[in-house]
Amino acid sequence: MMHRRVLIIDDEESIQLVVQFGLKLSAGWDVLVASSGLEGIRQAASEQPDMILLDVMMPEMDGLTTFRELQNNGETRSIPVILLTAKAQASEKRLFNDTGVQGVITKPFNSLELAEQIIKVLDW
Amino acid sequence: MRILVVEDDDIVLTLLTARLGAEHYAIDAATDGLTGWEYASIYDYDLLILDVVLPKLDGISLCQKLRQAGHTLPILMLTSQDTSMAKILGLDAGADDYVVKPFDPEELTARVRALLRRGSTNPLPIMLWGDLCLNSSTQEVSYGGTLLDLTAKEYGLLEMMLRESQRVFSKDEILDCLWSAEEFPVEATVRSHMRRLRGKLLAVGAPADLIATSHGRGYYLKPVNGGGETLFEPAPLTDPEPPAPHPSDDQQAQYLEFLNQTWQEQRSNCLQRVHRLDLALDQLQTQALPLTEQSEAYRIAHNLVGTLGTFGLLEAMAIARLLEQEFHPDIYLEPSQVNPLKLLLANLQQQIETTDTLVNLPKPTGVEPLVGNGQAGRSLATQRLMLVDDDPILLQTLSKQLQGHGFQVGVLDDPQQFWAVLENLQPDVLVLDIQMPQMNGLVLCQSLRSASQWQKIPVLFLSTFADAQTQHQAFAAGADDYLCKPITAQDLSDRIHHRLQRIQAVSQ
Repeated sequence: MMHRRVLIIDDEESIQLVVQFGLKLSAGWDVLVASSGLEGIRQAASEQPDMILLDVMMPEMDGLTTFRELQNNGETRSIPVILLTAKAQASEKRLFNDTGVQGVITKPFNSLELAEQIIKVLDW
Repeated sequence: MRILVVEDDDIVLTLLTARLGAEHYAIDAATDGLTGWEYASIYDYDLLILDVVLPKLDGISLCQKLRQAGHTLPILMLTSQDTSMAKILGLDAGADDYVVKPFDPEELTARVRALLRRGSTNPLPIMLWGDLCLNSSTQEVSYGGTLLDLTAKEYGLLEMMLRESQRVFSKDEILDCLWSAEEFPVEATVRSHMRRLRGKLLAVGAPADLIATSHGRGYYLKPVNGGGETLFEPAPLTDPEPPAPHPSDDQQAQYLEFLNQTWQEQRSNCLQRVHRLDLALDQLQTQALPLTEQSEAYRIAHNLVGTLGTFGLLEAMAIARLLEQEFHPDIYLEPSQVNPLKLLLANLQQQIETTDTLVNLPKPTGVEPLVGNGQAGRSLATQRLMLVDDDPILLQTLSKQLQGHGFQVGVLDDPQQFWAVLENLQPDVLVLDIQMPQMNGLVLCQSLRSASQWQKIPVLFLSTFADAQTQHQAFAAGADDYLCKPITAQDLSDRIHHRLQRIQAVSQ
């Protein structure tokens, strides 16, 4: 398995911590953390992670807006994005598909199995 | 590399498919010996993993049949019998290797790798082609010391070509080898993967024609400095630890410990949020809640769902999810909802306060499936019934009898898990006991009536209390019917049917 750097954009501290620990432990990956959409976009541009885990519901800038901003930015456009969402409704899933994100992972998830899910979704 | 797995045990099959899939193999699965025989006759596989005990045609016979038909592919037998006799039988039937269940997935994949190497012209785990280096043990590819970031298919393409480095591979061959039958790939798929792979090789300084095209024939590795060579020497790896895609027991234990530490830190945070929701309800009691406040409460509840789920507290998460729905900014909250919502909130607070230690890793679904009546085709018309009672014997008897009356029955003897199970089962009708440890059926019913999703679900009480006052309380809490124990399944079934018919009539 390749070494990877993942950026998680989520306003929930507990999720940040658990994902950080889970991905490091199970796959040896490094996890960068951003607590808001704006901070996430800045970090994505400067750190160039291999992929982004993006929470859908965040205050101020929500996940889909953040995703659009990432797409509009030449420095971050090519970074694959997987959305994190609470139990997605069927209609929401269609909405997500139309946006062009690479995948959707529903919460709650086991962070130990997250790397496996990411690899599968992104065909790494 | 394409592998056929013939195994009738769903769990073993899922495990194998996931594990081998993660190792970049294309997997086809058959669950009985005859299907296995058909698959193996139609497609070319690089390896067969074969269970011994199989329906229709057993593994030993299938193995013999394949060898008699001239198939030379490596065969790895799986069996639960750890005796010399069983092993001899398998190996004599033509198997190349033999693994006893339960097996260590790591060992199994290592054996798979070894068997696949044996059949190739390049039998070493590390393959070199000029500056290109592929390590099949760690699944890493580097060029001139620079690690390449390859997808599963790109890796598979390179590995396939390096294993038989003197050959030309047609697109058909590549499709057969790297894609499973279910994927329905087309030749253009091979071209696009090949284009991306070449792009990546080029980016790290490899010659553009390292993988050359022979028009009309396919792809081949272009000889570098007079030809490819294979040496057994370690690749320049940047990351020496080969991480297991499947978490080991040790990792799970470490993760659980970390979760527990984090939970200790986050618990007060969760309780603060519950408190803030409580304040919002206090405000609602005296005046309408401003939209900004309601949106904030919604966000808090939403975050609670995420946090509690992360720690695997499914019951608390289900309650938080109900609250999240109630506080949704599109829903107008009325002061009359305050009390039932406060009950939910109190329940949530209790769940958080009493969870000192997490004992299980979070699982997205930790709930028993519905107990079906076993009659295929009937389930669509069948009503789902959830039976909540702290008496397991009563649950067992009644659920069996009610299945006989055409219900699909889910049972719960621990009301502490009520909300999580309710959410998972999505029943059409509920039968509740009144007096249960730590939870009162009347309170549960009241909470149900405050949750928009469950406001209308028919609730029947089944209780030992026969007094008028309790019955009155039950109806006040939102019950649709009240029945006294003991009761026959026939009577209960009639009352439930009656209730459901009336609801249907009213809705029409």
